[in-house]
Amino acid sequence: MELENKREAKVISKNIDVFYGDKQALFGIDLEIYKNEVTALIGPSGCGKSTFLRCINRMNDVIDICKITGEIEIDNFNIYKPDVDVVRLREKVGMVFQKPNPFPKSIYDNIAYGPSIHGIAKDKNEMDQIVETSLQKAALWNEVKDRLNEPGTGLSGGQQQRLCIARAISINPEIILMDEPCSALDPIATAKIEELIDSLKSSFTIVIVTHSMSQAARVSQRTGFFHLGKLIEMGETEKIFKNPNNTMTQDYITGRFG
Amino acid sequence: MSDEHIVKSYDEELQHLNDSLVQMGSLTEKLLHDSMNAITTVDKDAVSKIVESDAKINKFRSSIDQHIMTILVKRSPVAIDLRYAISTLKISQDLERIGDLAKGNAKKILPLPDDLPPEMLKRIESLGEMVQTQLKSTLDCFIEKSVQKSLDTIKRDEQVNDLATASIKEVLEFLSKDKKNLDFATNLLFVCKNLERAGDHLSRICQNVHYLIEGDYPEK
Repeated sequence: MELENKREAKVISKNIDVFYGDKQALFGIDLEIYKNEVTALIGPSGCGKSTFLRCINRMNDVIDICKITGEIEIDNFNIYKPDVDVVRLREKVGMVFQKPNPFPKSIYDNIAYGPSIHGIAKDKNEMDQIVETSLQKAALWNEVKDRLNEPGTGLSGGQQQRLCIARAISINPEIILMDEPCSALDPIATAKIEELIDSLKSSFTIVIVTHSMSQAARVSQRTGFFHLGKLIEMGETEKIFKNPNNTMTQDYITGRFG
Repeated sequence: MSDEHIVKSYDEELQHLNDSLVQMGSLTEKLLHDSMNAITTVDKDAVSKIVESDAKINKFRSSIDQHIMTILVKRSPVAIDLRYAISTLKISQDLERIGDLAKGNAKKILPLPDDLPPEMLKRIESLGEMVQTQLKSTLDCFIEKSVQKSLDTIKRDEQVNDLATASIKEVLEFLSKDKKNLDFATNLLFVCKNLERAGDHLSRICQNVHYLIEGDYPEK
């Protein structure tokens, strides 16, 4: 209970509906994402969890037929107000995708790209510092410090994904969205990313979409279960996986329907 | 909740676990009955059979342990399935302990002294019957997955405790009258205490059935 009181809502979704043309993908999503915590979104394919994730940094805006109603507040500010600068928003809300997607550039330039276009670094020294700090935070520095000029695409899958995380954090976001970040990785690389997620939560608020129930149980403090575009249940991860309130949640996580 | 998993073999594994535990329970029922019978009829010949039955119960316990380990490894169960695995693990431990206590009692058979007050033996018989009834309703709780039955059974353990305390008091009085009955009375004290402990194990089983169904333990 005490823990609950200390929690601060970083993101508040209020009655979010999403339509792709005539098809409604999300129905009245109300939820809160707490600061410096990992929130996992789970549910069968097509349930709307990734669609919801993409609402948090307005990535759905790039889809012409997509229409969104409702509000998402970040630090009590509605990001769907008409005058919101989405570039600034995405600076604040970074994203990591399912498949590692480093730029076809050097490891150094992969990290430096964001800070340079956002004008974050004043000079080369500062940029060097940002690159080093970002790679350290992403637990990749020791593995790449001697080959920063080599192409990012030459790294292993797990290293590429950590490079993408380093790239996301290089512009000092407050929230990191991860869309199935480990689904293309082997168990060791997955474990490293999970360890990284755990260490990153002290500095960032993290929302992760995952198909792995055990991953959600391992990395998150809260879990939301989506089904057919609706948020069925949201609660403490331990509660969800030990004794969920909703029968549908239980049926899904125990493998009784999918 | 849907009854069936998408993976049918998972259902079969859980069903097998359920069946094993029920079988173990009915063996324990028989063992407890035979043990009480052997004590009150001073049937020493029954002891070897009781020891054999207890060994069988122990085997069930280790086979259930292995089966649960396999389920944990293969299925990474969560929610109701996880609670099912954890609860059955604990329930099988308690059943095994009840088997041990019943066997321990049977091993303490001594001829009934001539001056044994018949009502004292009657009371211990009643205590044994009460524990057997508790065991039956505990197994019903598990089979029916009944929260209410588990709560009722836990509540009735107070009666077992009261009767055990009264029986112990009576045995001590009997002992204090004539020290020649020391061995017999001491054994009888163990029998009473073991039956009371068996009752405690049954309460624990019911608490675990409650946990299995509700996800929490009943309030004390």
